[in-house]
Amino acid sequence: MRKTTRKSWAVAAGVAGIALLATACSSGDGDSGTSPTSGSTGSTEKVTLKIQTFNEFGYKDLYTEYMKLHPNVTIVDDKADKSDTARANVQTAIATGTVTEDIVAADVDWMPELVDHSDFFADLSSIGGDRWPSWKTGQATDDAGKLIGAGTDSGPEAVCYRKDLFEKAGLPTDREAVAQLLGTWDDYFATGKKFIDSAAGKAGAAWFDSIGALSQGMINQLKAPFEDPSTQKITVLDADSPAKAVYDQLTSADVLAQSAHLGQWSDPWNKAFTNDVKGAWATQLCPPWMTQIISGAAPDQKNWDIAPVMPGGASNWGGSFLLVPKDGKHVQAATDLVNWLTDPAQQAKVFVQYGNFPSAVKATTDATVVAKTDTYFGNAPSGKIFSDRFAQVAFQPFRGPNYFPINDALGKAYTRVDVDKTDDAASSWKKFETDVNNLS
Amino acid sequence: MATTSTPSAPETATDDEVRRQRRRVGFSQKLGRLDVKVSPYLYISPFFILFAVVGLFPLLYTAWVALHQWSLLDGEGPWVGMENFKHVLTQQYFWTGVRNTISIFLLSSVPQVIIALVIAAVLDANLRARTFWRMGVLVPYVVAPVAVALIFRQIFADPTGWMNEVLGWVGVGPVRWGSAVLPSHIAIATMVNYRWTGYNTLIFLAAMQAIPRDLYEAAIIDGASRVRQFFSVTIPMVRPTMIFVIITSTIGGLQIFDEPRMYSQTGDGGADRQWMTVTMYIYELGWKNQNFGRAAAVAWLLFILILIIGLINFAFTRRISSESTKAPKRKKVRA
Repeated sequence: MRKTTRKSWAVAAGVAGIALLATACSSGDGDSGTSPTSGSTGSTEKVTLKIQTFNEFGYKDLYTEYMKLHPNVTIVDDKADKSDTARANVQTAIATGTVTEDIVAADVDWMPELVDHSDFFADLSSIGGDRWPSWKTGQATDDAGKLIGAGTDSGPEAVCYRKDLFEKAGLPTDREAVAQLLGTWDDYFATGKKFIDSAAGKAGAAWFDSIGALSQGMINQLKAPFEDPSTQKITVLDADSPAKAVYDQLTSADVLAQSAHLGQWSDPWNKAFTNDVKGAWATQLCPPWMTQIISGAAPDQKNWDIAPVMPGGASNWGGSFLLVPKDGKHVQAATDLVNWLTDPAQQAKVFVQYGNFPSAVKATTDATVVAKTDTYFGNAPSGKIFSDRFAQVAFQPFRGPNYFPINDALGKAYTRVDVDKTDDAASSWKKFETDVNNLS
Repeated sequence: MATTSTPSAPETATDDEVRRQRRRVGFSQKLGRLDVKVSPYLYISPFFILFAVVGLFPLLYTAWVALHQWSLLDGEGPWVGMENFKHVLTQQYFWTGVRNTISIFLLSSVPQVIIALVIAAVLDANLRARTFWRMGVLVPYVVAPVAVALIFRQIFADPTGWMNEVLGWVGVGPVRWGSAVLPSHIAIATMVNYRWTGYNTLIFLAAMQAIPRDLYEAAIIDGASRVRQFFSVTIPMVRPTMIFVIITSTIGGLQIFDEPRMYSQTGDGGADRQWMTVTMYIYELGWKNQNFGRAAAVAWLLFILILIIGLINFAFTRRISSESTKAPKRKKVRA
């Protein structure tokens, strides 16, 4: 008896191995052969779901919890080292028509090119689009109304500021009073001028890090910054381009004088958060994820605080989605997992534990979310502040297929003027024009 | 001459047997000849088959892609002939990339080969703890390129890096490593040199150890100094190795990608493409702009550029080293 069982085990293992190999090789050719029952809801069939994320989605504990709730599901976390790698992987998958991951995460900046290839992804409408505000689902919906992405986090912007530098400059340090000062962009730059002329400015402190960083915020407040929403034609170089107006304002001598000339995300920028006065800056456009970056870069700096305001009106910066490739082996099981991960209850848990602000409307008003305070930012009620900011976001800029490269080229144009100082405003814009013209 | 035994057969055997024997001998002979002629090629064929699959095919396929409009996500588009090449050649960035590549290549390869030669000559001498020193020069090669880039990024950080600190002590103003063209090239070339000098040193060292010692003895008897020995014995004798090292470092230097890409956080070669190399330009065209056709065109242009520079290098090194070896030869003939 024992012999036969051992033999049959060996045979089973061999067959399973061959079957695994065969299915692994045939994942590209779609619906041929795979059984229709695989991965259907409530089934107890063993399912392995591979999910590709990047940076920190805060899902580690949630995976364990889900696997406990669904013993037949094994989740494999394929974390890419950075978002660029994740983007390249998704592009390769689309270009070659091969599916290696059951779920992929995508940043909002590269959603346009994925929406452009919505055929590759499964329809997630079954989750229910009303979980998110319309501007969030709009970023993941194609022309035909198919929802391909489930929103994870979001980035309603506030302003982080240094209380000590504000005090040195004779400006108010109270959150509400600071918010009063920075209602519009004109207010913001006028206050900046005052700051630069004050004792703090004379001691070498700047008002903000770089104009490129401000541009991100200002571009996100435009309805159609680079492309025409109906024709997708590139409009950023037109005479009445709103992005050009932003560019002209930011590259004016008055505004440039308020900059610390440090390119965002560069090593010197990261290091400069520890500066006391000289080489420091007083304000930083601050989506929830930026608070983690600031506290990580300068853990000993105790003067940062969060003002419940965004110059020029509420807007959103960043945020991600989970997508399910349509030709995956376990589309239904993957959709179930996405549904669960982006459920308001789970999003609230992630915010409390990791600080990734939710994008599901119900999660943003969840009691645990609103009650969260941040000791690093002088016990600022970060949950409440960002929840209010989130509620006021009314729209997101239109992002056509060329949004990503245009935004990148514009960022470089700002860097040339502000950080590298290799060009003046006019010649840098000329180079930007060449970049954009080369896209078509 | 191996067939001399067959004519003697008819004397003892019948015609039929003879025919059979002949046929048999003929066949095995043919097989033997085939074996001699074909098997060597069969033995080396795995390399060439592999090369055809992973080297030649991609090369030709890239040419095919370069002649089409080709999007990263949508794949093959209409045939456009030389349009991609024309477009790329009129691009400022392409020429900036060529300038940066050649500049970084010269700043890295030239000092690298010279320093490697000198270090190898020193290591070739009788040193204590020889193996220790020899392994020591290889240590930087073991460090992952990304780690090297991270370390050097700290050293060459723009206003506040170590290098600017040290330069400040001797009164040199802060150098704009992160935004000026030449300083950024020097910083990147330093990374490359750090990583590859030890590797080339070991290759040179191996070549130097194969030099017969009696040449040096003769030179010493003739009263040649150490320096004279180095130039008149060592360098001519490692000439084939030098050609190898120079050609490989040319190919590697012109394809440089990791170091400049890791040199800044964004990995795009600077806002004004101060240190964007041709390979980084290929990456940008293909993956950021999603235009595979143009990326493939640049890849082919880079291939041609490497061929040209490789040939120039080859001619150059052959001339230098043959001139120095000709003289002693003539002397020998006369003697």
